[in-house]
Amino acid sequence: MAPRKRRPTGVPADPGLLLGLFTTVARARALEDALAVHIRDHGFAGFWHPGKGQEGAVAGACAALRTDDYLFYQGRGATWPLAKGMGLQPIIGDLLGRVTGSTGGKGAGVPHWADPALGIMGEGATLGSVYPIAAGAALSAKMRGTDQVALADFGDGTSHRGTFHETLIQAASWKLPLVYFCENNGLAVSTRFEDVSPTPNVADRAGAYGIPGVVVDGQDAVEVHRVTAEAVERARAGEGPTLIEAKVTRVGGHWEGDAQQYRPDDFLKDYRDPLEILRAYLGDAHAETADKIVADAAAEVAEELLRAEAADLPDPEIITKDVFV
Amino acid sequence: MTTATDPRPATGPATDPHPATGPVADETRVTTYQAAQGEALVEEMRRDASVFCMGQDLRMGGFFGGTRGMVEEFGHERVLDTSITEAFMVGCAAGAAMTGMRPVVQMGFADFSLIAGDEIFQKLGKWRHMHGGQFELPAVIVMPIGPSGGAGPEHSGSMEMLGMHFPGLKVVVPSDPWDAKALLKAAVRDPNPVLYYPSKQLDWIRGPVSTDPDEIIPLGQAAVRRRGTTATVITYGCMTRRALEAAEALAGEGVDLEVVDLRTLVPLDLDTVTASVLRTHRALIVHEAPRTAGPGAEIAAAVQERCFWHLDAPIMRLGAVDAPVPASRHLEQHCFPSVADITEAARRLARI
Repeated sequence: MAPRKRRPTGVPADPGLLLGLFTTVARARALEDALAVHIRDHGFAGFWHPGKGQEGAVAGACAALRTDDYLFYQGRGATWPLAKGMGLQPIIGDLLGRVTGSTGGKGAGVPHWADPALGIMGEGATLGSVYPIAAGAALSAKMRGTDQVALADFGDGTSHRGTFHETLIQAASWKLPLVYFCENNGLAVSTRFEDVSPTPNVADRAGAYGIPGVVVDGQDAVEVHRVTAEAVERARAGEGPTLIEAKVTRVGGHWEGDAQQYRPDDFLKDYRDPLEILRAYLGDAHAETADKIVADAAAEVAEELLRAEAADLPDPEIITKDVFV
Repeated sequence: MTTATDPRPATGPATDPHPATGPVADETRVTTYQAAQGEALVEEMRRDASVFCMGQDLRMGGFFGGTRGMVEEFGHERVLDTSITEAFMVGCAAGAAMTGMRPVVQMGFADFSLIAGDEIFQKLGKWRHMHGGQFELPAVIVMPIGPSGGAGPEHSGSMEMLGMHFPGLKVVVPSDPWDAKALLKAAVRDPNPVLYYPSKQLDWIRGPVSTDPDEIIPLGQAAVRRRGTTATVITYGCMTRRALEAAEALAGEGVDLEVVDLRTLVPLDLDTVTASVLRTHRALIVHEAPRTAGPGAEIAAAVQERCFWHLDAPIMRLGAVDAPVPASRHLEQHCFPSVADITEAARRLARI
């Protein structure tokens, strides 16, 4: 399927921002593609939930955060930690359960990447559990008098969890510096969003909490960046949470290897590749640079994958470490 | 057979800095068990600006009055009333704790821990470990246990064993005002998540508390409340008082009970427990939680692993009946080990 080239009007074409977004998406894409091959050839100790197709939304949103802003991500793809500044080796090392991972290989399989110095605060794999935790980080920032913001990333499936409501009603009342960021790919494993939601959009619920709800084309990283930057600014200014819903497409299965028999044949009909959209934004002037970024990303990922494969598995002694301080 | 006339003397130093005779510190004052908790919180909030409290009805003083007057001193910014959102309260505490604050969540009743089960047992308990030790989560969740005069089956639970079972959580159950204050202060200062379970049956019990704002009891130190030679009663929380009453009742019968108050279930001070059992050669475990799979099951197994060849009788357990606690106040009192139950069990143990 050929991506449709499109450049919306009215969007400032900041070359620095565009190149940054393009680089993030290119590296994330290279990682997605390399992992798919690796898992096909070698298997995988755990569950990998591919994020291919959703990289643009993540890169766009993350670019609106400062390093010291708090990020609580969900477990699809690896673009969040990558976009927030984590190196490829800590990411891949955890994926393969090696000591080079950000958790020393402990958070492998379903990865629990974390680096508090980069504001990467981890993941709760009982999805929907990060809503109150992110609100706690936002409350903490407010109490300590910093202007940090917390972003809670989630999927359309967990937007139905009770914690979604419990947190938003309290965070909105307290005007916490919190950004709710939904990657709505329309599928909770195999369950279609339209079959379980009374409203067409997650963001439609924002009005009930007295906060703004924004729907954005999640395949367009520039647009996602624009609306997220507005939400972050609002949060920093003490005006409270925003509920952003990025409409995205999950190109792969729920897990790598998922036969996806539940999918209709035309499920990719609305999909536009976020990398190609960014390439169109960059235009002919940056075509060579873009090609080089893509080639460099593939080479870098291949090299880091080899490094991770060669790295040690963690000593079983780490199982009983880090239970208590 | 080992009895009070057993020639083997009780040995080993008492580990308790303030044994059953009461605290010996110069600066003490008498107050209630629940007011002692309020004092601890106030003193810790004065000491450390990162300490704050959150829960339902705190501004009016909390369910049990422990936070009355705190808004006036610390403002609404540090005394946060939430709506009925247990999962939010604890999850929010986890997020605040991992970013530099020290939240104390007041959870009304321990039964509500199940509403926030994911947040307590999987987030507070696991976040540090599953992210490679990169976070500290110094949060305290206060969850009163046991009956309180007709609160009913969903408000009378004693579920401190859940905290023992899920790794990563410390568990505190204070038995008197002194401990309620000094253990809560230790919990607030601990870099780990702590589940603090006051026993509602002790709420209005009066006793001395320290007026030294730095008096704490390190988590993980049991106290020998009474020296004895016939058998060791291993207990904690409100059952400590009943065990001491039973011991006094039996003293004239030649049954001389030693009473060990665990104070914390995690860390569990098995050294003090086994030292006592090695002196008395008999053990009776008493708790407010239901008997089946209660803390006593774990403690009995641990004691027999350490003391099997020194035991003169099987380890006995007393716990609440394995039934929901009825709302009827008349029936409620029959659910839990009474002084008479403990006395009778100790008599039987002494005869074996």
